Amino acid sequence: MIVEATQATPVKYDMGVVKWFSIMAVVYLVVGTLLGVWIASELAWPFLNLDIPEITFGRLRPLHTNAVIFAFGGCTLFGTGFYMAQRTGATNLWSNGLAWFTFWGWNLIILLAIITLPLGITQSKEYAELEWPIDIMVAVVWLSFGINHIMTVAKRKTSHIYVSNWFTWGMFIMVTYLHVVNSLAIPVSLTQSYSIFSGVQDAMIQWWWGHNAVGFYLTAGFLGIMYYFVPKQANRPVFSYRLSVLHFWTLMFGYVWLGAHHLQYTALPDWTGSLAAAISLAMIIPSWGGAMNGMMTLSGAWDKLRTDYIMRFLVVSLAFYAMSTFEGPVMSIKTVNALSHYTDWTVGHVHSGALGWVVMVSAGALYHMIKKLWNTEMYSDNLVNVHFWLATIGTVVYIVAMWVSGIMQGLMWRDYDEYGTLTYTFVESVSAMHPYYAMRAIGGMIFNLGAWIMLFNVVMTVRQANAARVTNAVPAKA
Amino acid sequence: MGYLGMDVAAMTTNDWIGMFFSVAVFIGMVYVYVMVFHPANKDMFESQRGMALDDDDHINMGEKR
Repeated sequence: MIVEATQATPVKYDMGVVKWFSIMAVVYLVVGTLLGVWIASELAWPFLNLDIPEITFGRLRPLHTNAVIFAFGGCTLFGTGFYMAQRTGATNLWSNGLAWFTFWGWNLIILLAIITLPLGITQSKEYAELEWPIDIMVAVVWLSFGINHIMTVAKRKTSHIYVSNWFTWGMFIMVTYLHVVNSLAIPVSLTQSYSIFSGVQDAMIQWWWGHNAVGFYLTAGFLGIMYYFVPKQANRPVFSYRLSVLHFWTLMFGYVWLGAHHLQYTALPDWTGSLAAAISLAMIIPSWGGAMNGMMTLSGAWDKLRTDYIMRFLVVSLAFYAMSTFEGPVMSIKTVNALSHYTDWTVGHVHSGALGWVVMVSAGALYHMIKKLWNTEMYSDNLVNVHFWLATIGTVVYIVAMWVSGIMQGLMWRDYDEYGTLTYTFVESVSAMHPYYAMRAIGGMIFNLGAWIMLFNVVMTVRQANAARVTNAVPAKA
Repeated sequence: MGYLGMDVAAMTTNDWIGMFFSVAVFIGMVYVYVMVFHPANKDMFESQRGMALDDDDHINMGEKR
């Protein structure tokens, strides 16, 4: 029988693995964004390739995306997932050992990515570049997290399953399905395989995976984080629980249809792109409903933003979430897509979601969690504030540069003269991008500097907490 | 209207499976909207608003030893 937990029944949690996921998330944030800065710099100043194949843009770009999405994002999702499941269920983990297996397994996969991708060992599928043996490891480790999470919630001592756990489950179930289908391949050696899909089916499966990796991994998973950590940090109940339930189900039902909007004006049947664009526009409703729900949670406590720097991360992340979930559907409309597709506008859009939404909400959650996990205050609140401003300014510089360069590219590529010939050569459009590529690299550097500051602050906070524990323990022994 | 036309005789198994899931999702969406917005369910849902805040009451942080 499930009983409500009370103060009389304190719970001893398994937080050791959560601590390590938190620390590694911050480490991978630094590494992943540093790789991004490097490859952005290569585009602005190509001599940085140094004629070394392993560090060219084509080799390092997938390493950058894998580092930020799977290394940073994964460690954040696993850490917060185990944290929220335990706390909202008033129970410890179903299996602490399995959680450590997830931790070491995931880090081994990241290590293998660091080795194989620069060597050019890749399936050449965007956001799913890792070769088949590593894909199998990803599936096993991913299942170990999902099963442990589900079983932890199953043995909860509270009657209700909090909405954050639903979002984590939605992510788990859909990403399992997406990863397995998208990765189906025929191996010919340990480091080489061929996808079972080809032609337009391959493209459709690729973007069914690609967009839903965004929808279920980078959106649903992090919305779970938002629905737990925004109320916690604001110390106020979520604005509307009904809206959060609606947000969850509409996201689950709606997102899977969107992938085809990446393939407008291709060999894919026209109706699939139209359907994807229509559902994309419909998705503005739940997305904005969720963003408003998070923001309105602060209703009556907006003054907290003056002094609570962690809250700033969480609120600004919601602003970026609202912005990018409006921009995406607009870009899926065929008329807009004719201009935006294949340009840097798409890169800007992705980064407004990745830097503005995912990293900001993660940083807010990680700062909150680290204080709780080590039962201490941050080493420096001012450094949290400095990180916040560097992250915000870096993101804005980055996406503005990409908006300008993307729209300029689109306009240059479609411009005809009076004889019907193209006004500009492709090389001229590349040359015109240089100032914006330099601006993008600088935006990334600013953002990366913020990540270094976060790492320093977190390390010092942990050291401070450990030192205090030792100091307190000495008299006790004496 | 031709764009929305449906040639039932020409539909393959895949078409029928796709149509089944499309209709099922649509019905599911309608059910969720009705369930969430029905006034009788308001208190049931909103009683969970503060759940994230309650967990400090039964917490003893730290690794299990």
